[in-house]
Amino acid sequence: MFSRDVCRRLYGVLAVLAVLVPLGVTSAQDTITLDFYYPTAVDGPIAQILEEYAQQFEAENPGIDVNPIYTGSYVDTRQAIQTEIQGGGTGPDVAVMLATDIFSLAEEGYVVPVQQFIDQMEDPEAFVSDFYESLMVNSVDEEGTIWSIPFQRSTPILYYNKDMFREAGLDPEQPPRNRDELVEYAQKLTLPNGERWGLMVAIAGDFPIWLFQSFVMANGQNLVEESPAKVYLNTPEAVDALKFLIDLGSTYRVQPEGGTSWGDTPTAFTSGQAAMIYHTVGSLTSILQNADFEVGVGYLPSGPAGEDGTGYGTPTGGGNLYIFANSTPEEQEAAWKWVQFLASPEIQADWGAKTGYIAARRSAWETDILQELVAQYPQYAVARDQLEIAGKEFTSYRAIDVQNIINNTVSSILAGERTDIETALAEAQAQIDSLLAEYQ
Amino acid sequence: MTRRRTWASRLADAAIITVSIIWMLPLFFAILMSFRPQRDPITNGNIFFGSTLTLANYMSAWEVAPWPAHYANSIIFVVGVLVVQVFTITMAGYAFARLRFPGRNLLLGIVLLQMMIPTGVLLVQNFATIRTLGLYDTQIAMMVPYWGSAFGTLLMRQAFREVPYELEEAARIDGANWAQIMRHVYIPLTIPSYVAFALVSISSHWNEFLWPFIVTRSAHVQPLTVGLNKLYQTSDVGALYGQLMAGTLMVIAPLVILFILFQRRFIESFASSGIK
Amino acid sequence: MAGTAQTRAATDAGMAIARPRKSLLQILFPYLLIAPTLILVVMFTIWPAGQSVISSLYRPPRMATGEPTFVGLQNYIDLFDPTHYIGSNFTQVIINTLIFTFATVLVAVPLALIFALLLNRRIRGLALWRFGLFYPALLPLIGAASIWAFIYSDTVGLLNTILRSFGLSGQNWIGNANLVLGSVIVVNIWKQVGYYMIFYLAGLQGIPRDFYEAAEIEGASTLQQVYYLTLPLLRRTTLFIMIIAFTFGFQTVEQLQVLGGGGPGVRSNMILYYIFQNIQERRNAGYVNAMTVILVLILLVFTVSNFLIFEREEKS
Repeated sequence: MFSRDVCRRLYGVLAVLAVLVPLGVTSAQDTITLDFYYPTAVDGPIAQILEEYAQQFEAENPGIDVNPIYTGSYVDTRQAIQTEIQGGGTGPDVAVMLATDIFSLAEEGYVVPVQQFIDQMEDPEAFVSDFYESLMVNSVDEEGTIWSIPFQRSTPILYYNKDMFREAGLDPEQPPRNRDELVEYAQKLTLPNGERWGLMVAIAGDFPIWLFQSFVMANGQNLVEESPAKVYLNTPEAVDALKFLIDLGSTYRVQPEGGTSWGDTPTAFTSGQAAMIYHTVGSLTSILQNADFEVGVGYLPSGPAGEDGTGYGTPTGGGNLYIFANSTPEEQEAAWKWVQFLASPEIQADWGAKTGYIAARRSAWETDILQELVAQYPQYAVARDQLEIAGKEFTSYRAIDVQNIINNTVSSILAGERTDIETALAEAQAQIDSLLAEYQ
Repeated sequence: MTRRRTWASRLADAAIITVSIIWMLPLFFAILMSFRPQRDPITNGNIFFGSTLTLANYMSAWEVAPWPAHYANSIIFVVGVLVVQVFTITMAGYAFARLRFPGRNLLLGIVLLQMMIPTGVLLVQNFATIRTLGLYDTQIAMMVPYWGSAFGTLLMRQAFREVPYELEEAARIDGANWAQIMRHVYIPLTIPSYVAFALVSISSHWNEFLWPFIVTRSAHVQPLTVGLNKLYQTSDVGALYGQLMAGTLMVIAPLVILFILFQRRFIESFASSGIK
Repeated sequence: MAGTAQTRAATDAGMAIARPRKSLLQILFPYLLIAPTLILVVMFTIWPAGQSVISSLYRPPRMATGEPTFVGLQNYIDLFDPTHYIGSNFTQVIINTLIFTFATVLVAVPLALIFALLLNRRIRGLALWRFGLFYPALLPLIGAASIWAFIYSDTVGLLNTILRSFGLSGQNWIGNANLVLGSVIVVNIWKQVGYYMIFYLAGLQGIPRDFYEAAEIEGASTLQQVYYLTLPLLRRTTLFIMIIAFTFGFQTVEQLQVLGGGGPGVRSNMILYYIFQNIQERRNAGYVNAMTVILVLILLVFTVSNFLIFEREEKS
């Protein structure tokens, strides 16, 4: 019968594999092979760049092989790792995952804190303090234990069109510093009938939480404080932030109602449809390449919470390096070497220059490569300096669910689907609180 | 048809041609975007050709992934799935169409459940199965779950039932065994259904991302969709349509060429297919 | 199709059939034929789906190493609890899915028939027009969706650029809660029509030409021919297409990744996409499995009813 024959062939294939698979494993007796999973979120030949890093690292560290493996988006990466580990596999040795994944990864027991490796360093203090505090704040848990090392990080900034500023009689070297100026400038820059918008906040879509958070922070109350078990969504600060975002469209009429979509706002800016936009520093390289006007970059304007810096609201974003729990102690030691290599000032500088991510440690900015970049494009320095006043990116226990709740609520309010802001936030807060009740 | 061209017939021509052109507009603009500079919005300059035309999107898309390997893997994947499917659906299709046996309807129902349960929600268990079989990170792993096809079984069951039973009886009287009956009676008469099935199977597996992605890690076994996925993941930059369109067109090019080359044959072979 | 090994193996079976006495092999023969398909389906669909049904009755432990708790039907109850973080959206998600599926099927299937009727004639450039209507079916869903993301874009999109050039105001096709589901449905119709059309074309070409000639001699107009002759002869094709269209409709969600992510809120979210969103958190496993069971039950109702009609048509 065919079935028998198919089975026989299948067994043949299986038999061949059964011979081949262990061979691959046993031959790697004295070399340690590290599986390094990475997602991508920028364009460019990322695989090639990481392959080069791996070769450089292998040359410096004989006995360790690094195997960079592309795993889709951040979401895909999480799903791949989750499926693999739950399905009885080992998972990676090192992976780039969102900084905000810290609590879910820790709770799953997938990762080990890198604190244990830092503690064995000659000067742990010097190592840690070289990273920007605003980035490290997302690497630590409540007890201050460090779980991950910043790798590909970003932050939102204000882009503005200097030519349009001149045209509107504004000082092109002076971006708006606070919300009043933001509205005032935007009104001057807006042309009637949607011909040109003074401002576009890229907040429409399914992930509004990032930029929403910046407005809430600027009002003086972040969505999350030190404890990952408490979320501050139903607050006057959040209500005010939402009202301001809505007013930008419906009252001041300086941006399309509900904001603009994340993906297309940079193109709208480079094509002259908007005079100012809120977007990530990640798009700076491509904006500089594509704009045929002078591009200005500024801090996100501060909110009413203060003029002296306290009213600034800038979260950070992006991926960190995690070391996995399924690896053997030897593999983890090797993994830590690889993590240190990727986080080294030289690689951070090179990676930042090639991808547009913002180098995560201060010493990286002293390297020639970034010094030259900043000399040529001072805009990069603005994003770097803004890190000094940036705050904690939203994360909590059950972060995926809580983020879904906040994203759904905020996007339906901004789209005008829900007009009862206070009630909507109260309902969302109740859902979040019941999710987090077991952590109190 | 020798019918004279009436005004109604001309109107019908005009209608379908208009609709078809509207249907093709997205493709037209996808091609256009793929040749326009990155981030050059459609409002810039001439709506059709923008400021300049460039191959830059194709070049940068090409850099992102080992495409030749991905092409080879996709071909191996779809062919490897289809070849086995042809055997399984022929056997099961025949059994359900022509043989009577206890539990037939129940077993058919079980097979049909496959069409209703989205594979994406069964990833963890299926991943575990693949690991147990020792197939993780191989091309076989990408293929195995698709080797049995409810859609194909249903289609062939339908097609075989169209074949007059007398032909089978006549062949048997001539001393033909089952394999010979299949080869000389059923299969020649149902070629159109096989072609229809091949079209559906090839195009859906060519575009399959999630399962191959979950069970493989090495670029040298992964299919095109994994390479294409890299072009979609630009959330830290914003949407880069030019490069994305270039990549999408690169990926579907073989399918489109295949379809254009065989389009007449597809349609004609459908003509006597079981699904009429 | 058969190599020598298969032929030889199958010879035994063939001879078994020819023998008058029912041998064991003969009794087993049908089961052996379906065994490969059945084993694969059981291994990769039925067994894991069974696991899903079981885990839909459990709640995962807080730490990954713990034991799940049996909660009976509580997961199902929570899905419909309007104050619950999953339940507050799930009803809306089901409604969206039904609207999406029905709208797609009810528009795409008749359109596919009309297109097939119009294409099943002698037209200059037939191959091109046929390709023009079919090619969306060849695109990966996410690729097709990306083209539409560019068309629909609020700021730099094609549609709004065209509207504005006529002095009209652009719309936020994806960001507007009242438009988004319609926008996504349009994409799906555009993508699926060609696929169904091909099956109709096949069905049409199977209708013998002389049927029409006879009708014409009797003086039937073209429309009358379509109504009294073509449509009845295509009933089985239609039912076949309905089965595929419904099953696909419920499972087509990848485009949402690019087209609004199910938002604003959950206004364009659909069951399978909602499952994918929530599967990210291990603690939702019970809910995710319960949603899967509900999805399969809905599909089962549609498929079984379609199938029953299908089979009844067969008999009459």
